[in-house]
Parts: sequence; C-alpha cells; structure tokens
Amino acid sequence: MLVDRMIETKVSGDEEMPTEGLNEKRSINEEMQELAKYVEVITKTIREMESPVTSTSDQLPQATSHLHDLAKMTEEGTHKVLSLTEELERNREVIQYQLEQLRANVAGRAVKDLDAILTLVKADEKQLLNIHVALSFQDLVAQRVGKLVTILNEIQHKLLKLVVIFGIQQQQGGPGASGDGRGYEMLRQLEISKTTALQQDLVDSIMSEFGLS
Amino acid sequence: MIDTGMKVLVVDDMSTMRRIVKNVLRQIGFSDIMEAENGQDALTKLKAGGFGLVVSDWNMPVMQGIELLRAVRADAELKTLPFLMVTAEAQKENLIEAVQAGVSNYVVKPFTAEVLQGKLEKIFANVQPAKSS
Repeated sequence: MLVDRMIETKVSGDEEMPTEGLNEKRSINEEMQELAKYVEVITKTIREMESPVTSTSDQLPQATSHLHDLAKMTEEGTHKVLSLTEELERNREVIQYQLEQLRANVAGRAVKDLDAILTLVKADEKQLLNIHVALSFQDLVAQRVGKLVTILNEIQHKLLKLVVIFGIQQQQGGPGASGDGRGYEMLRQLEISKTTALQQDLVDSIMSEFGLS
Repeated sequence: MIDTGMKVLVVDDMSTMRRIVKNVLRQIGFSDIMEAENGQDALTKLKAGGFGLVVSDWNMPVMQGIELLRAVRADAELKTLPFLMVTAEAQKENLIEAVQAGVSNYVVKPFTAEVLQGKLEKIFANVQPAKSS
C-alpha cells in the first residue's frame, strides 16, 4: 500500500538514494497526485450534494405533514359517509314500518305488491351495513400512512447524518428525527404485509388448530 | 344465541372503526355499547365492571390490544371475559401471540358484518362468560 511504501522510503533514508529508490519516489509522487485529484473530485461531489441533501431533508417534514392531512381527510370523509348511511338506515326503518302498517290495512293484489316492496326494503338493511363495514378501509389507510411517516422520519434522520458526516451545513432537524431504526422496521413490516398478511380463512384455519375456529 | 343484553366495550384508537364496529354490534342486537380509545382507557373502564364482551383493535397508542388482553387475562375479576381481537395485524406470529395470550377469537380487517357476527356466535357458543362485577 501507499502508506507502507512511504514508510519504507523514509526508513531507507535520503542520503543514499540509489536509482531504484528514485524511481520508487517518483512513482509515489504520481500516486500522491492521483490521490489528490481523487480527493478534489470527492470534495466537489460532496459540495454539489449540499443543496439536494439539505433541500430534501427540509422537504421531508412537509411530506409527512401532507401524509397526516391525507389520513385526516380520509377519516373525515369516512365519518361523512357513515353519517349519510346512518340517515339512510333510519329512513329505511321508517319506510319498512310504514309499509308494514299499510300492508295490514289492504287486501288482494296490494298485499302481494307490498310484500315485494318490503323484501327489497329489508334487503337494503344488509347492504347499508355492508357499506359501513367496507369503510373500515380507512383504518388500514391510516395505519399504513402512519408507517410511511415513520419511514420518512428515519430517512430524514439519515440524510441529516450525511450532512453532519460530510460537513455540509446542517439545517434544523425537524420533528421525529430520532434514529431508533423504527423506520426500517416499519418498511420491513410494510414489505412483509404485501406477501404474508393472513386472510380470514387462513386465520380461521390456524385458530382451529388451537381449538378456536 | 348471543345474550345481546350484555354491556360491550369497543376498543380502537380510530373513531371511524369504533363507529363501524358499534353499528355492526347494534345490527346484531347489542344496545349497551361503550368505547375506549386505547388499552389503558379500556382497562380502567373494564375494572369499573359490568362488561360481558371486549372487541379490541391491536395497534393502539398508550397500550396495545395485546397488552390489554394480557392485562385482562391476568386480572382475577376479568380473566374469563370474552375478548375478540379485530385487527389489521394479520401476520401468523401476531395470531399465535394472541392465541397464547388467551384471545377468544380473531377477526382480520377488512371484515364483513357476517364474519364479525359469526365469530361472536362462536365465542358465546364455546365460552360460558363469567361477567365481571
């Protein structure tokens, strides 16, 4: 290595400089020049990194804020749909009650027609409930957004670490910049959930092994 | 048959989920339904007494659903309380952890009203709940 060769050169001394030693010194000089060029290129690259790294670490808190807003918006939207379906259900119950009252006071063909209408009205109860339950997607969205926010906080922390290590002027850290590795863990969980998340039938199968089907 | 006259505690940090689960429970016939935002809140309410069923999420701040389950099973007054986990935590290790902690049954989100009702029927068919006082 270069350092070893420099030590060897120093040990051999300058007073006696055979031709072989001169050649070696020249070679070391050339390598030193190459090394200096390399350091210069690296320094320039790091200097060029300053702007994107600092601006990215500045933008990340904004991105997490947008994600929080997204979760909030889906939550508000879900409550709105829930309120509307609850209102529809209340109306449906009134319609069903009125139809049943009406049915008790009519005869002949009208009874058959009212029965057909009542069947449809009763079926809507199940559909309205299914709309409710389908809205549970919002909880899944909020949980995934929460994990993404943790990942972004971790990325921000790592970028700031780069900034410090390479001596680029550090911008303020922002919230959630604690490097506890949770971002990596959340990313791992998100990746795993894509392929190994259990479906209810598989859950039932495992539960039955424990006698809890 | 499920005794729909019992008091039920729905535990979830998401207000939308609490509302959805409550609506499904109402449709089944339950009318005495209370809510808690996390495990700690739930435990305080459960210790006040009178509940016949807990329907809990897993992933919550302050105290997670699995910790709540362990606390319930460790409490002499609450240990036989039927406990249904309704959660997005759908990894096999989560399920096994819950079973080992003493969960009564487990529903994966997103679920249907039929699945939730079916699980409750199975819980009450298999378990003779000792209501907490």
